[in-house]
Amino acid sequence: MECKLVPSVCSYCGTGCGVLFEVINNKIVGTLPMKTHPVNEGKLCIKGWNLHEHVNSILRLKQPLVKTFGRFMKTDWDEAIQLTADRFKEIIAKHGPDSIGVLVSAKITNEENYLAQKLARAVIGTNNVDHCARL
Amino acid sequence: MKEQIKSWLEQGTVDVFLGYREVDHHPIPWCFTQEAIEEVDDLVVSPARYSLEKIATHMAAEDPDIRIGMLARDCNNRALNVLYVWNQLRPEQVVTVEANCCPSPLKEHADCSYLEPGTVGAYKKAVGIDNHLRLEAVEAYGPEEGRNRWMYEFQKCIKCYGCRNICPVCFCRECSLDHDDLVGTGPLLPDIPIFHLVRAVHMAGRCIDCGLCEDACPMDIPLRLLYQKVNRIAMDLFDYRTGTSGDQPPFSILGDRVTLEPKPIQPVTGAEA
Repeated sequence: MECKLVPSVCSYCGTGCGVLFEVINNKIVGTLPMKTHPVNEGKLCIKGWNLHEHVNSILRLKQPLVKTFGRFMKTDWDEAIQLTADRFKEIIAKHGPDSIGVLVSAKITNEENYLAQKLARAVIGTNNVDHCARL
Repeated sequence: MKEQIKSWLEQGTVDVFLGYREVDHHPIPWCFTQEAIEEVDDLVVSPARYSLEKIATHMAAEDPDIRIGMLARDCNNRALNVLYVWNQLRPEQVVTVEANCCPSPLKEHADCSYLEPGTVGAYKKAVGIDNHLRLEAVEAYGPEEGRNRWMYEFQKCIKCYGCRNICPVCFCRECSLDHDDLVGTGPLLPDIPIFHLVRAVHMAGRCIDCGLCEDACPMDIPLRLLYQKVNRIAMDLFDYRTGTSGDQPPFSILGDRVTLEPKPIQPVTGAEA
């Protein structure tokens, strides 16, 4: 029997509540608020309490899908990224870089958000960057 | 204490020992095992309380024969008793090491996350219920004022289900609070006061007054007082002391035997709160 409580940070919004994942036999079975965490002080909202559910969900996407003839087909990352890059190039060539916008998320880290806006400004060439926390 | 735990693990008296260990200065529940016995040296008695017995029930659900050692305060011990009564754990599979307890009128010099009562604002004192009041003082508000004050507290609820999720004695696979026919599960506000009262009714003869629910409540609803009230009824009517009695509570309809004896309904005097 292996049982661990793994400290982590809730990924649902930008608040950054401390959580503990209850891991039994390498499966996350529950989420607990971290009592000593300065942000949430042992409290969580309903989303935080159910963090473990999306990890184990059967609906979770584990690989990229490409829409081909109206249907989603499984593919690998190399192909998906190549395809996205090709389509972006096409769109930029036809309609200009401002035809593309980048939406980033509170579910990823600050650093990843930074990289995403860098990609938008330096690679795609647009200032159309927005974030889900800017409600 | 550490030597005792080590010898238990070495001799196989217990398969795992649940205690606390500091990880990045946060005391978190830690499962000590024979394979990593040197970790026992880092065992701490955390002032932050977690429901170790709930983790124990999750482990017992995976492996019913597992023997579990546990650091236990008074509240943990009461919770364990309730879990034995409800067949979630077997007394012979659990060994406990006593730890210092929460401050209370009986034990003033004690430590836990209930160390300092939080400050209660003037508005809450005026229109709501001060979490640190005694039950008698809340009852003294009378039916009408009491109702208004409780409704003020209930309407703050953001329905995080934290009170249920953290509760050491909540283990039902299907919960009434998740059941659309009983309590509306969708929108905010939740159905008040029914959401809280359904839970309160289920806490009669079950709540061990550990206060974890109130600790976890983001809106500081005085849940502990609410469940103290229903437990007071169980004590007054049936002399059932939750957490120390070894029998099923009088309200159980599941289990070996129904012990609830029918009694004539007392005439109600005045409006009910």
